[in-house]
Amino acid sequence: MFSDFLFRLRGLFRRKRVEAELDEELRSHLEYEAEKYIKSGLSPEEARRRARIALGGVEQVKEECREARGVSLVESAAQDVSYAVRILRNRPVFAVVAVLTLALGIGANTAMFSVMDVMLLRALPVKNPQELVEFVRWDPRGAIMGNLPYEVFQHLRENTSVLSGIFAFTSDSRVFRAGVGSERSTVHEVSGSFFSTLGVNALLGRTIDPNDVLPNAEHHVVVLSYPFWSRRFGRDPSVVGATVRVNGAPCTIVGVMPADFFGVNRSRLPDMWAPLASDPGQVWVLGRLKPGVSIPQARAQLQPLFQQALDSFKDGMKDSRAQERDAFLAEKLLVNRATTGTSDLRWQFWEYSNTLKILLGMTGLVLLISCVNLTNLLMARSAARSQEIGIRLAIGAGRRRILRQLLTENLVLALLGGVVGLLVAAGGHRLLVTFLTGNLEGVSLEFRLDERVLGFSLAMSILTGLLSGVLPALRAAREGFLPAMHGIFQLRGAPRLPLARKLLAAQVALSLMLLVGAGLFVRSLRNLATTDLGLARENLVLMSVDPSLSKSVRDRREFWTQLTERLAGVPGVRSVSLAGDAVFGYGGWNAPIWARQPDGAEHDARVPYNVVGPGFFQTVEIPLLAGREFGWQDQGKSPPVAVVNRAFARRFFAGENPVGKRFGNAGPGSSSQIEIVGVIGDAKYRDLREQPQPMFYLPLFQNLEERPYQLHARTAGDPAAAIAAMRGEIQAMDQDISINHVRTIKEVIHSLLQHDRMFAFLASIFGLLALLLTSIGIYGVVAYQVTRRTGEIGIRMALGAQRTDVLWMVMRETLLVLAAGAALGLPAAVAAAQVLRSLLFGLGPSDPLAIILAAAALAAAGALAGFLPARRAASLSPMDALRHE
Amino acid sequence: MTDERIDLPQGTLNLLILRTVALGPQHGWAISERLQQISGKVLQVQQGSLYPALHRLERRGWIKARWGASENNRRAKFYELTGSGRKQLEAEADAWRKLTAAVAQVLETA
Repeated sequence: MFSDFLFRLRGLFRRKRVEAELDEELRSHLEYEAEKYIKSGLSPEEARRRARIALGGVEQVKEECREARGVSLVESAAQDVSYAVRILRNRPVFAVVAVLTLALGIGANTAMFSVMDVMLLRALPVKNPQELVEFVRWDPRGAIMGNLPYEVFQHLRENTSVLSGIFAFTSDSRVFRAGVGSERSTVHEVSGSFFSTLGVNALLGRTIDPNDVLPNAEHHVVVLSYPFWSRRFGRDPSVVGATVRVNGAPCTIVGVMPADFFGVNRSRLPDMWAPLASDPGQVWVLGRLKPGVSIPQARAQLQPLFQQALDSFKDGMKDSRAQERDAFLAEKLLVNRATTGTSDLRWQFWEYSNTLKILLGMTGLVLLISCVNLTNLLMARSAARSQEIGIRLAIGAGRRRILRQLLTENLVLALLGGVVGLLVAAGGHRLLVTFLTGNLEGVSLEFRLDERVLGFSLAMSILTGLLSGVLPALRAAREGFLPAMHGIFQLRGAPRLPLARKLLAAQVALSLMLLVGAGLFVRSLRNLATTDLGLARENLVLMSVDPSLSKSVRDRREFWTQLTERLAGVPGVRSVSLAGDAVFGYGGWNAPIWARQPDGAEHDARVPYNVVGPGFFQTVEIPLLAGREFGWQDQGKSPPVAVVNRAFARRFFAGENPVGKRFGNAGPGSSSQIEIVGVIGDAKYRDLREQPQPMFYLPLFQNLEERPYQLHARTAGDPAAAIAAMRGEIQAMDQDISINHVRTIKEVIHSLLQHDRMFAFLASIFGLLALLLTSIGIYGVVAYQVTRRTGEIGIRMALGAQRTDVLWMVMRETLLVLAAGAALGLPAAVAAAQVLRSLLFGLGPSDPLAIILAAAALAAAGALAGFLPARRAASLSPMDALRHE
Repeated sequence: MTDERIDLPQGTLNLLILRTVALGPQHGWAISERLQQISGKVLQVQQGSLYPALHRLERRGWIKARWGASENNRRAKFYELTGSGRKQLEAEADAWRKLTAAVAQVLETA
């Protein structure tokens, strides 16, 4: 075996020598042979001729010797590649169409892979990331919460023996000021064990250690992230040790982290890390398992500890509704592997949604279509090349050699497609991440051309090359000889391509699936974009105003009153009001309320609410149905009042006019506390998809707190000018009032529709490309058939067939393919669309209009693609057609 | 013109080559001449198929090649039997004898 290998190697590396020896051996044979004939009396020329005849074709003998030596594998592969490149260069249109087809299929899937890789698969750049676990709560009603009460974290930390480390962190937005100019920055507050458990060191200075987190820590410290350090300080190493202000408090920069460290969550990049405050509330918790400890073992120890910690809350929850307390106490601890960090993205896009799966399905369809399309192109071409292949078979090429040659051509195509596909992937990756997460800043999800992505794309290329190439190559090598030899003499023997028709039908079916998906998504997006919000969306501006850093604000009531009045006077502003939470913001708060039922019983329920200022409903234009809305008189000590929406009235007051009726939010027996003074229409408040739900509003000035409030302003015209004017007006009151998150409601809705737009956009793009590819496929196959049947068409015409008969004869082919494709594709599309149900708004997955539109588009494009060659066939003159052979 | 020569049965060429070079190192043309002579011109050995067969045997390690000078002092490639080639020759010759004896018996008795 080994000597055989060495023997082949010699052939490979000493190819020239081996070739020369082969030459010499055969030459010496011919000389001996000729000498023999000369001795028997022939002339030297005749002798040499006889010798050559006796040996047979010298080149053929040599080729057989090479094959016998087994050296030819690599060598012939190189030959095949150069031949393939030559062939492709001779057919540039075919090559370009094929490469682009593949680039699309491979690129789309590589983009999906790299997105999933960064979101779900890539490990954190920390020490032994596979030991990391995250802790989440699971409540018996099925909800999963990513964070734990800080006390639970403390209890776990102090009592566990299965973890070598455990840490907690929270995320917050703070005003950062260094020298002049302040800005909002994202601060992750971390427990003292954060950096040591992760096993990462600072690039400059030090990280945060347990001493920084002690309640009596002497001073505040922060550690900067590399991107923030670069952006804000131009990578100046002297900032370590500098004092800055975070939310006004002096802080020392003690370190800078390395460029690749972003914490434990790729989708929330902090600008800096700071020690955890003494009472942080809910925290995210991660830990590191001791070597050899499995997740079930860890959970077995930690679950009872978790339970103990929850029980200690029991006394503090006396006032809660029994149902809620029971649910809280029944919560279980889940321990998840966190090699890739905390699971925001995994949850959001994989475990609790179909987003990535649907995208995968779409790109998978695109790949299938690409493969089928390429198979078809290759079939038509190998049919056209059958003469060439026949000739090569006839002059002694082995069938296996031909097969290898054809597969090499496909692989060359596929690899070219893979290379172009990487460009598609890089662009597609950015597009997908932007669509999925809304932006590219603040996330560590960039495209990286690493060995994983390269490997994936290479594997895809080889797979598609083989998948789409095997059928045509096998057929060409099997059938190549006979039809081809016929073909030299009479064209009629060329294959009829029945397989091509089946493949076309499959392609039509796959395209139909994508187009139906596109139709559904586009119609759903349209429904969402035009859905009645219950409020007016034109020219509504939102901004968050935070006076907490301002020294001039003494009396909050006075400040907010003055702010509202001054802004109402700004040119271009029609009306202004305030709210605790913005419309389409976080959706207000949930509160348990108690309302007296018609039968006198007190009924309790959890209902979302918001606090709003005077004139709020008039500003956002939610119609007032009865009673009044809040005015300036609803403040301080005035009687508690509320405005409720129509759904609230329907739910708690059986649809009667609730004005003058009462409910409460202060526990059992409070049901007569708050008087309802007005009823407004139902408006969407959190999400465009929501059904009207009960909601109530309390007067902001009756519930004033020390916090930022959301300004709602209706402008007369273009919001941009009014926004600038309002900013100026607020700054004029006090420079230190910070204004954040300025946006119009249209922008908010636009970003709420991000994913819907992504699906509609991608499905449309893919659908259109599939349509194009299918049309090219139909055109190619029908045009080939027309060329093949030119003689037959001539005869038919000579025998009296009309042009319409010919047209119909050719079109019948196309229509059959389309009908078969539709018969196959429609049920498949309807079945596949079921998974989209939860993503669609205002229509079902079997929406007839979307299906009809998709089918019509495909039928029209397909019929056109078939009509062009059919018309050419019909316009042939019988004489030319007959002479064609 | 009637041709009495028969084509070689599959696989026998190897056996004949091995037997020929068992007599001593020989170059390709000499092997081909020798085969023609010994077989009494009954067997048809295509010169064209001799060389691929030689190279195949060389690859399997049953014969080895070296360049040397022929009788009239010309450079030629000489093939000689190797140890494993000798074993292979014995095995194949044995198999062949058994086969022909069996076929002959069938032809005579059946």
